Amino acid sequence: MNLISISINHRTAPVELREAVYLKEDEIQPFINLAKENQLKEGLILSTCNRTEIFCIPGKEDLTHDKIQGLLLKYKTAQNISEENFQKYFSRDAVEHLFSVATGIDSLLIGDNQVFKQVKDSFQLAEENHFAGYIMHRIFDAAIRTGKRAISETAISEGAVTVSYAAVQLTEKIFSNLNKKTALVIGAGETGEIAAKHLSERGIGSLYVTNRTQEKAEKLAQRLNAKVIPFSEFRDSIHKYDIIISATSAPEILIPKEDVKNALKKRNNNPMILMDIAIPRDIDPATKEIDYVFYHDLDSLNIIVEQNLAKRKSEIPKVKKIIEEELDNIWGWYNSLQAAPAIKDLREFFEEIRNEEVEKNKNKFASEDQDKLDIVTKRIINKILHHPTIELRKASESSSSIDTATKIGIIRDLFGIGNKKSEKD
Amino acid sequence: MISAIHTINILLPFFYFATLVVYYYDFIKSEKKLVNIKRVFLFITLLLHLIYIVLRTIAFDHPPITNVFEIFTILAITISFSYFLVELVSDIRGTGPFIIILPFIFQLISSLFIQDLTQVKDVLRSNLLGIHVISALLGYSGFTISAVYGFLYLVLYKDIKLNKFGLIFNRLPNLEVLERLSLYSAVIGFISLTIAIVIGVIWLPIAFPHFSYMDPKLIGTTLVWLLYAIGITTKVLGKWRGKKLVMLSIAGFTVAILSTILSNFLAQSFHSFY
Repeated sequence: MNLISISINHRTAPVELREAVYLKEDEIQPFINLAKENQLKEGLILSTCNRTEIFCIPGKEDLTHDKIQGLLLKYKTAQNISEENFQKYFSRDAVEHLFSVATGIDSLLIGDNQVFKQVKDSFQLAEENHFAGYIMHRIFDAAIRTGKRAISETAISEGAVTVSYAAVQLTEKIFSNLNKKTALVIGAGETGEIAAKHLSERGIGSLYVTNRTQEKAEKLAQRLNAKVIPFSEFRDSIHKYDIIISATSAPEILIPKEDVKNALKKRNNNPMILMDIAIPRDIDPATKEIDYVFYHDLDSLNIIVEQNLAKRKSEIPKVKKIIEEELDNIWGWYNSLQAAPAIKDLREFFEEIRNEEVEKNKNKFASEDQDKLDIVTKRIINKILHHPTIELRKASESSSSIDTATKIGIIRDLFGIGNKKSEKD
Repeated sequence: MISAIHTINILLPFFYFATLVVYYYDFIKSEKKLVNIKRVFLFITLLLHLIYIVLRTIAFDHPPITNVFEIFTILAITISFSYFLVELVSDIRGTGPFIIILPFIFQLISSLFIQDLTQVKDVLRSNLLGIHVISALLGYSGFTISAVYGFLYLVLYKDIKLNKFGLIFNRLPNLEVLERLSLYSAVIGFISLTIAIVIGVIWLPIAFPHFSYMDPKLIGTTLVWLLYAIGITTKVLGKWRGKKLVMLSIAGFTVAILSTILSNFLAQSFHSFY
């Protein structure tokens, strides 16, 4: 298969270089047009903050990795990027690489779900821009199926692998129904925002935000449909919250143990979760000694993250097995698009129909005519298949293999003749 | 029919053991395909157990409720059936191995010591006895399940507090659910035990004219009933919750077991039927 791919990713290049070649959504379409002008017939462009990937089927035989790479660097006018910053793949390796990206095993955060969505989006973009032909389309479908299988058949995407998500997951091990709970997020910085977002996505009953700069809290609250309480007042009301997540840059302790003790009394020992994801810490660690208080800081949340990452890593062999299966599948299909076996299958298919009909009807003919029936029907089939056979032979000898494969693929699809593997798809 | 009963009697502990192994394996590995397989195992075991009880009842002309070893086999089936329902209705997974180990133990003891009893004391041939025993068994099954969930609550509570995020943390349902399951099973157990006591009190003077109010069975059962009554009342009033409540449930269960052993095997009680 004449599939070429180049990849610049978190393993091959630091973030500034990845940024330099990052293609924004509105840049992809012009780039596809440029690619088409430069003899790239079909392809796929995937660009995220962690990677930029180009997969393509060239229209001309002499198109190389270097030329595609040059095209990208010229388009982005990126400098300081050298040969080593790119990984290059060809044919089966390129498909395998695409599958690895789609399943998330090639990601910085193993099993990252986000990348699967990005791969799907980039497929759509290729299709909208008429950059995906018959073969490419088939590869897309296989990549999506591989990604879905990895998610459903393995635990590659299971468990929280970020601290703020681990905090929410831990919360769900204590409370059964977050929509009856009230949460307070202290600190409207990036970490606080992510934690608040997770809580809101998990359907928290009511969400409060507080921040030293009130304005920042208000902005965040507006985005998440939360309520704001003034920073100077939150300490008086901590008994109202089932969950408190603190992520400020305050150098001092904001919630002392005594406050929590009193709050718990007011709550009649109704459990409280305190997540301190700030450095230095905002909540007195001694609060963990109080019954029905679940205090966790970065260290303890990191234990969960590390465990989940290790678990995801241990799932990689299973995902690789799925990738191997899907590769064999698509390869079996692709090989069936060679001219010789296709002509044979096509002839066998017609012969089978002819034979069946002759057997079924020959008793309607006089016995001396039955041989003639056989000869005449054979002649009809031969005449029908004469032209397609010649055309297929010619195609396989002259033009590019992708064109031949496309033609054969369409014929197989039209008549419904394929190898068993592709029928299953 | 007798030989079929004997064969199933030997087979049942093995079936429970196999089911326990599948549940335990699933707890460790958590593979998606095992979810249905383990339920099939439990279902087949339950079915075989039901056939066994029906056969026994027909062959020996009485339901197997007249002595401790007969009752153990009933206890095994009621606990596993209750758990089967909990799993189907609540879709709560991960607690199976901790529950199923109990029917396995009960059935094992029963299978080892049960006898082909055709002669039943006249005093045990009463319609009231049937209801008394069934409600008492439901009560004890409820307390057993409540204690197991209470125990799991304590383990998970401790693990979360101490940042131990192992198998228990990953597989068990959350604390609120465990507390609720423990409470609900205790309430069902309590109601059933109340019915058993009421019927027992009606039946007692008829069956045993010379009974004593200081009989260990009566004292033990009253104590158990009081413990659960206190627990449920404090919960309803919103005074106790979580750890305290589940500890009370575990205490209630322990007293219930001790009282049963004491009154049936050790002490002189009207309730010793073995």
